[in-house]
Amino acid sequence: MAEKKVATKKDTEPKIGVYVCHCGSNIAGTVDVPQVVEFAKGLPAVAIAREYKFMCSDPGQSMIKDDIKQLGLNRVVVASCSPLLHEPTFRHAIQEAGLNPYLFEMANIREHCSWTTEDHGEATEKAKALVSAAVKRIYLHQPLEVREVPVNPNTLIVGGGIAGIQAALEIADAGHKVYLVEKDPSIGGHMIQFDKTFPTLDCSACILTPKMTSAGSHPNIELMTYSEVEEIAGFIGSFKAKIRKKAKFVDESKCNGCGVCIEKCPWKADSEFDLGLSQRKAIYTPFPQAVPNIPVIDKESCAYFLKGKCRACEKFCEREAIDFEQQDKIVEIDVGNIIITTGYDPFDPTPIIKYGYGKFPNVVTGLEFERICNSVGPTGGKIVLKDGSEPKSIAIIHCVGSRDENYHKYCSRVCCMYALKYSHLIKEKTKADVYQMYIDMRCFGKGYEEFYQRLSDEGVTFIRGKPAEVTDRAISEEEKGKLIVVGEDSLLGTVIRVPVDMVILCIALEARADAKNVAQLFSISQGADAFFIERHPKLDPVATMTDGVFIAGCCQGPKDIPDTVAQASAAAARVLALISKGKVELEATVAVIDEEKCSGCRICNLLCPYNAIDFIEEEEVSRINDALCKGCGTCVAACPSAAITHKHFTTEEIMAEIEGVLV
Amino acid sequence: MASVRSHESIELLTYSEVIEVSGYVGNFKVKIRKKPRYVDEIKCTGCGTCQEKCPMKADSEFDFGIGKRKVIYTPFPQAVPNIPVIDRERCTYFIKGKCRACEKFCEAKAIDFEQTEKIIDLDVGCIIVTTGFDSFDPTPISQFGYGRYDNVITGFQFERMSSASGPTGGKIVLKDGSEPRSLAILHCIGSRDLNYHEYCSRVCCMSSLKFAHLIREKIPDAEIYDLYIDLRCFGKGYEEFYNRLQEEGVNFIRGRAGEVTDIAETPEEIGRLVVLCEDTLIGRQRRLPVDMVILSNALEPRADAGEVAKLFSISRSKDGFFMEKHPKLDPVATTTDGVFVAGCCQGPKDIPDTVAQASAAAARVMAMISKGSVEIEAATAIIEEEFCSGCKTCIALCPYNAISFNEERKVSAINEALCKGCGTCAAACPSGAIISRHFTTEQIMAQLEGVLT
Ligand SMILES: Cc1cc2nc3c(=O)[nH]c(=O)nc-3n(C[C@H](O)[C@H](O)[C@H](O)COP(=O)(O)OP(=O)(O)OC[C@H]3O[C@@H](n4cnc5c(N)ncnc54)[C@H](O)[C@@H]3O)c2cc1C
Ligand SMILES: Cc1cc2nc3c(=O)[nH]c(=O)nc-3n(C[C@H](O)[C@H](O)[C@H](O)COP(=O)(O)OP(=O)(O)OC[C@H]3O[C@@H](n4cnc5c(N)ncnc54)[C@H](O)[C@@H]3O)c2cc1C
Ligand code: SF4
Ligand code: SF4
Ligand code: SF4
Ligand code: SF4
Repeated sequence: MAEKKVATKKDTEPKIGVYVCHCGSNIAGTVDVPQVVEFAKGLPAVAIAREYKFMCSDPGQSMIKDDIKQLGLNRVVVASCSPLLHEPTFRHAIQEAGLNPYLFEMANIREHCSWTTEDHGEATEKAKALVSAAVKRIYLHQPLEVREVPVNPNTLIVGGGIAGIQAALEIADAGHKVYLVEKDPSIGGHMIQFDKTFPTLDCSACILTPKMTSAGSHPNIELMTYSEVEEIAGFIGSFKAKIRKKAKFVDESKCNGCGVCIEKCPWKADSEFDLGLSQRKAIYTPFPQAVPNIPVIDKESCAYFLKGKCRACEKFCEREAIDFEQQDKIVEIDVGNIIITTGYDPFDPTPIIKYGYGKFPNVVTGLEFERICNSVGPTGGKIVLKDGSEPKSIAIIHCVGSRDENYHKYCSRVCCMYALKYSHLIKEKTKADVYQMYIDMRCFGKGYEEFYQRLSDEGVTFIRGKPAEVTDRAISEEEKGKLIVVGEDSLLGTVIRVPVDMVILCIALEARADAKNVAQLFSISQGADAFFIERHPKLDPVATMTDGVFIAGCCQGPKDIPDTVAQASAAAARVLALISKGKVELEATVAVIDEEKCSGCRICNLLCPYNAIDFIEEEEVSRINDALCKGCGTCVAACPSAAITHKHFTTEEIMAEIEGVLV
Repeated sequence: MASVRSHESIELLTYSEVIEVSGYVGNFKVKIRKKPRYVDEIKCTGCGTCQEKCPMKADSEFDFGIGKRKVIYTPFPQAVPNIPVIDRERCTYFIKGKCRACEKFCEAKAIDFEQTEKIIDLDVGCIIVTTGFDSFDPTPISQFGYGRYDNVITGFQFERMSSASGPTGGKIVLKDGSEPRSLAILHCIGSRDLNYHEYCSRVCCMSSLKFAHLIREKIPDAEIYDLYIDLRCFGKGYEEFYNRLQEEGVNFIRGRAGEVTDIAETPEEIGRLVVLCEDTLIGRQRRLPVDMVILSNALEPRADAGEVAKLFSISRSKDGFFMEKHPKLDPVATTTDGVFVAGCCQGPKDIPDTVAQASAAAARVMAMISKGSVEIEAATAIIEEEFCSGCKTCIALCPYNAISFNEERKVSAINEALCKGCGTCAAACPSGAIISRHFTTEQIMAQLEGVLT
């Protein structure tokens, strides 16, 4: 034992108590506890060492508290289980006895020792080494202060699909303010584009529009449509967000949504909402039940903006709501928590040339088919081919862009079911034969398998195999003028050719094209599949690595509406809990930069997974925002000038601990 | 689990059951029966001496019968709370009046053979039901030989076997203690089967893959067959896991097994189990000789789901699980205000989905708490007492249990906080004594007149 006297000055000399736990027979069955206690008594600065059956039990804790009071202990080591389990218990106990909770150290002699070491002698030796390490280390511990910050009760929700709407209503109903930011002119997301929803076949708009309207009129929800978040600063409890409200060229306070302007506008453009299957005006609301029901002028297709002439809408608007001079506005808001619900993008199947999307007009995507099926869609709900005639046979191809090494390896989770939904809708509306080509039928939700059974009874032909190609090269009379789906029926083991009139591609759900920017903006991460990553898939499925930022819905991964709604409410629950507590505790074991030593190389800036380090231009040094720092230690290890210290894991503490182990 | 116990705001009532619920959203009265543990929870330190000293053993429910426990026991070492219970049915003292070994050795003097059950009354505003699932018993599907062949086990039994703290210390072994060289995992046992459960159990494809992976890890050269209908790997990272197992060399066979037998047809099959199946991809019958068969059995509603549903006035869907108010818009609420459901009691689901649903239910409750009051339907029914004949017809019919009988005055009375204004009673009352406010007979007649103009 090297007698390197500690450099740090202390007001009081350390007086350490060591408590060794039996954990019933969990520890004592392998480790000779009395021997470890005797050993601990001989370590420097140890004032007392004791053993007990269950240190974590109330009598165990009282034993520590009494010793602190009677013997004047100022540091406590407990040798027992993993700190993950009981560190909070003991920190709390010593705090109750008047000690700073960080003047505590736990030696894990169960998971790391008695459970993994068979030989009793070896286990006892190892337990001694671990206790010695803890004692050496705690000698150097400093009291740390846990700070509390208040939680602003307002919440920012980004993305107004079903996930965002659900979360917003949940929080607003509890009486708290929500800012719901949506980049499009209306909330509703993908769900409002659908005709029916599986497996209950409720009309999608009928079940969604009531929620949209209540979000639109809720006194606690401030809707910010046609808006995007530009900047986020701050940390849990007090974020500052800058939001760009794009110019609608319509004054929201004057417009009453009468729609005259739309009627009178002479200019048209492809409708984004109908995926280009129909046209909308240059001044438009994306769909009739839009919330808010206020049109926007699309600068790109407005004749006035393009050529300086027209202003028809202005002339006819009785409310004088049209305002061609309107500018983008930047609004700043203060919020305590953020929920991200930006959803997904549908996969574009054009690159999969063999399926002929873009080449054959009657090869459509699932989302396009939703619009075709919809009674307020481009065809008024009639399932028709491009030439207006009714198809006599339709093939539905699963897993387009999903479960495919070349595009997305993952399964998109909803397309099997929406494919079944299409089969049903086709059977209901036409006399067409329906072929479903699948790899596995993934009907896992409540009532889903039953729906599959029902479709099998409705006479849909299920073919197991992923088609190789869609072609128009006929090789028989029957195939002439048709699209032929060529593939292998893996159940029959034969190559098949299925001539059909229409092909529906069940396209994958993929991460939004701008997911990377959004991730950066909010300091969250993306997985290999580009969706946002949750903190823990099982235990913390809606939190992210950034405190106060939550995710829900398809931005986290493909999922159906019931699962999206559950996740959205879960995120709301987390936020509500923080609001009702009113404050959060910040990590006390953080890193600090010694600005004298910092060379300004900025290596740490990039490495910090929590974006906690800023570079101060004027002083040319880096500085850690201790409200954001999680104490992971990455920067400490990386700093080439050794300018960064971790408050609870100083170099001295770590070296002392190592020395201790090597006794 | 440990934080549930140590949390200041959680009062844990284990070994307890709800026996009565009355009241309505915001004001439920709940009666709970705390079964006697025969151990004083306040005195017990959880030292475990009693379990060590107890001379009697029983099959462990926790290990699904493949391990043993004492008669005074905690189900598993990390139990929360870490306080044992005495299994009265098997305790020698209770059966023969002699033993009390545990009492003798307990330093804390916590053993109390005189303990009796306690009834606790609680007032709560909301209720969340999270009673989970039962695992389907494959015995009735006799062709798979569960119960007949030692080495045909269920998924849950395999979980315990594979667990480091389980009965075999994490070793995958046959009944005779030897290591299996080949194993078959059979999907959809009791699921997707019109004779048992039509639904898909949603987790067994993935748990089967997990089993395959664990076997590969522990017995690297084992031959593993996985017999499936469809591989339902839909969650985040699930398909990727499936791909990985294909690379790990698991033999995936698409087809439902027909039978497990020990009748050998070739020398190779002698002394082994033979799984008969149709490999639908090659369109051929196959015989797979294996040492162990794991049945991925269904998740089904708890055996007592019917009683629990009645107790909390919630409904069940056709599959027997508790029914949510609306599958898309209100997946954790039930038709009884203030009663929510979450997890597998609503339908099979994996842990991530269970956790999300549980948090969702918590959100609904928190919203109610932070609002502090609930609005109650105004369009309720009322009984005009002078017309009520006391026939009680309405009481049995009310789907919300809102009507009670006033014995003194011999008339029925409606609790407005429970009444949803559905009108069932108004239509049924033979004396015309019930008025559905907002839908009075006059209002309905007037509306009809209006239609006919
Ligand atoms: C063809 C098809 C059919 C389907 N059919 C069904 C079905 O029948 N039943 C079912 O249960 N599920 C179905 N689904 C799945 C369903 O679409 C999703 O579960 C659901 O839409 C997910 O909702 P969400 O709110 O997470 O995402 P979205 O619906 O994608 O909503 C996200 C919202 O966020 C907005 N947004 C995005 N980025 C930003 C940003 N940076 N700033 C501000 N706002 C932003 C978007 O404009 C959008 O409004 C289907 C999916 C597809 C592809
Ligand atoms: C073999 C197998 C392997 C699995 N593996 C995985 C896996 O690897 N990953 C994964 O994500 N999922 C897995 N699952 C699914 C997982 O088990 C469930 O998602 C999860 O357990 C559901 O949790 P729960 O709380 O809803 O129900 P449960 O775990 O069933 O808990 C319900 C609780 O309620 C109690 N209870 C019941 N009735 C009453 C009553 N009347 N009064 C009081 N208490 C009551 C029960 O005692 C129990 O403690 C697996 C399932 C099986 C069958
Ligand atoms: S005409 Fe004016 S009031 Fe009417 S919808 Fe257009 S902008 Fe709004
Ligand atoms: S849900 Fe079905 S169609 Fe969609 S990717 Fe998964 S397996 Fe393929
Ligand atoms: S310790 Fe980790 S979280 Fe803290 S500043 Fe350094 S890298 Fe960032
Ligand atoms: S999850 Fe897989 S094994 Fe389980 S019932 Fe569904 S299809 Fe069968």
